[in-house]
Amino acid sequence: MTAGHRIEDLLRELAPQVLGTLVRRHGQFDACEDAVQEALLAAALQWPAEGVPDRPRSWLLRVAGRSLVDEWRSESARRRREETAALDPAGRESAADPLNADFLGAGHRPADADDTLVLLFLGCHPALSPPSQLALTLRAVGGLTTTEIAAAFLVPEATMAQRISRAKQRIRSAGARFELPPEPERATRLGVVLHVLYLVFNEGYTTSSGPALHRADLTAEAIRLARLLHRLLPGEGEVAGLLALMLLTDARRAARTDAAGSIVPLAEQRRELWDSAAIAEGLALVTRTLGTVPLGPYQLQAAIAAVHDEAPTAEETDWPQILALYEVLAQVAPGPVVTLSRAVALAMVHGPKAGLALLGTLDTDDRMAHTHRLDAVRAHLLERAGDTVAARESYLRAARMTASVPEQRYLALRAARLHHPAPGDSRGGNRRPPA
Amino acid sequence: MKYMIMMFGGLGATMESRTPEWITGMHELMLKLDTELKEAGEVVAGHGLVDPSQAKTVRFKGGVPVSTDGPFAEVKESLAGYWIVEVSEERAIEIASQVVAYTEYPMEVRQVMKG
Repeated sequence: MTAGHRIEDLLRELAPQVLGTLVRRHGQFDACEDAVQEALLAAALQWPAEGVPDRPRSWLLRVAGRSLVDEWRSESARRRREETAALDPAGRESAADPLNADFLGAGHRPADADDTLVLLFLGCHPALSPPSQLALTLRAVGGLTTTEIAAAFLVPEATMAQRISRAKQRIRSAGARFELPPEPERATRLGVVLHVLYLVFNEGYTTSSGPALHRADLTAEAIRLARLLHRLLPGEGEVAGLLALMLLTDARRAARTDAAGSIVPLAEQRRELWDSAAIAEGLALVTRTLGTVPLGPYQLQAAIAAVHDEAPTAEETDWPQILALYEVLAQVAPGPVVTLSRAVALAMVHGPKAGLALLGTLDTDDRMAHTHRLDAVRAHLLERAGDTVAARESYLRAARMTASVPEQRYLALRAARLHHPAPGDSRGGNRRPPA
Repeated sequence: MKYMIMMFGGLGATMESRTPEWITGMHELMLKLDTELKEAGEVVAGHGLVDPSQAKTVRFKGGVPVSTDGPFAEVKESLAGYWIVEVSEERAIEIASQVVAYTEYPMEVRQVMKG
């Protein structure tokens, strides 16, 4: 690892801690954030040349603190006195004097890990819409700049900056304080945090390959934050489950697309391209958390991913175990997407007709009316059942509905293959007898 | 100067006769062009649009705007996607020509207005 990377990683790790310390003392999230950005910039410029300081966090706090003071000094006296209340660790209201030299050069504080947790929870405040939660979480705790977040979500930078700024205002006016949510709300809020991280991961994972390289940053960021959350909350099974799910899914990324940018389905992926270290880490997490009861949806999905990733070849996949896990998932977190995936597993164990019958129950489900996924899965099963005409129609229907370019290309190709089977194509032999 | 290079059509009748090899070739061509335009700094924006069958058209009917399912133009003449490139008109035409050589289907090149 180059010195440059080491500094970058260090700064990413320290940034939320420094931000947390400042916000905890002074409120004024915006001003503190700007100050931290200044300090990070200074570090990025100076440390490569002068070396990383012995106490890097103190260095950052000092520089950020100075930046804050300068900012306050240049504002009106009224603005300097106005500050949102921030509870100090002892639980008393403290009107911290912004010119108090105390906060300059603060040493290591054991509360720093908790500060990051507070920021994560704050970013997922219920007053915010999901896009705002994503943006604020990535901004406050994630290692991405506003520019990078904007690029990742394909919105103009000014739009993203506004979204983040409005989000901060909204949580301020909702009376949010720099502390964990009250005990009764904590479990729900953690659920939101996990969901936000899942959305970030998904956003990065399901987009196209090729020129959209910045999207890989999103999956890396989601994994990093999930890892952080797991370190802070080691006893939470669903946190471990989400981390495992991300690792086990991301492990397959290199094999997911081919040279032409087309999607390669799981059954056809070159497994030697899978990231075995990520798989090992994911498997270990799944094994450790399977003992916790009750199993939550992320843990179950991780367990399913584990069964896939453990199989040396597609043919050796333990489909009966996957089906059993989906049946539990259908009890724990029922929904049309689970039914879709369960139908695939059902087909692999009991034959395509069984899977198609289950899919039929979704035909009247409104939630499936505007997605291509029902037709896509149906097309696969019809193909396996040997009904090439109906399969082709289904593939084309799905291709017309999807808003994903790689998905559309994949589905169009599958439709075309049914119309023009290659000479000596053994694809018709995909109709495997039920296990 | 900026030009929009427009592609038309949907996933319909044109698909009937296309072989998997042709489709794969098409994907590779688009990927190659996307990358080239990006690396040359020529592309300003590039987007594919969802199939025209998913469009809704708002028309003025009986004195009010009314939305109906379906595209404005016939599917085969509906916009499928576009690039906006900052190049000379010759280059814009040359880019379009590379695609037309493969698809044998028309594309339109039109200048983007300023202001």
